Amino acid sequence: MDMSYKEKSLLASLGATLLLFGWYLYGAFSSLPLNPELPGFIEFIVLIVGFIILEAIIQSFLAIKNKSQLEDERDKLIEKTSSRYSYGFLVVCIWVSMVQILLDARFDNHLMLTTPYGMFHFLLLFFVLAEVIRFGTQLYHYRKGV
Amino acid sequence: MSQQTLAEKVGVTRQTIIAIEKDKYSPSLEVAFKISDVFQKPLENIFKYK
Repeated sequence: MDMSYKEKSLLASLGATLLLFGWYLYGAFSSLPLNPELPGFIEFIVLIVGFIILEAIIQSFLAIKNKSQLEDERDKLIEKTSSRYSYGFLVVCIWVSMVQILLDARFDNHLMLTTPYGMFHFLLLFFVLAEVIRFGTQLYHYRKGV
Repeated sequence: MSQQTLAEKVGVTRQTIIAIEKDKYSPSLEVAFKISDVFQKPLENIFKYK
């Protein structure tokens, strides 16, 4: 399959996001009912630093292999369209979280979402899903048109 | 003229020229005028509204 530099770059970012954050969130949600405490600060820093290093290595490798990295109006339009989908998803997630907090405060019903550990990881999950939507829709528009 | 040459003259990527040819992207007026300028033809001879 003939892929442009942009598509390769997006695919790499999508893969790195799914791999690292997927691994971290899987571990976090597996232990959520057993350990409803604050997130491990060190583990989270390791995740972020690891993600930045992995992205820097992959993107540098792609930039060296692909000479043309010009960004034009089509790239900007695709990025804008995808950001709108991603933003819409994030807004819905934030509203759901806010309603959950209100319900918890009103009925004193402590669900997993409203513990600090749970809320932190749900927000991280929403953010990661929004990024996956952004990368995924960009790839879709590069293939199917915009 | 190759797609790469046209892309360089217009200031877009080769992928954008391919997308325009395949009817997967409608260019801005600026790019459309630049393409017509490269070919020295009126806009309506190059683009058709569907």
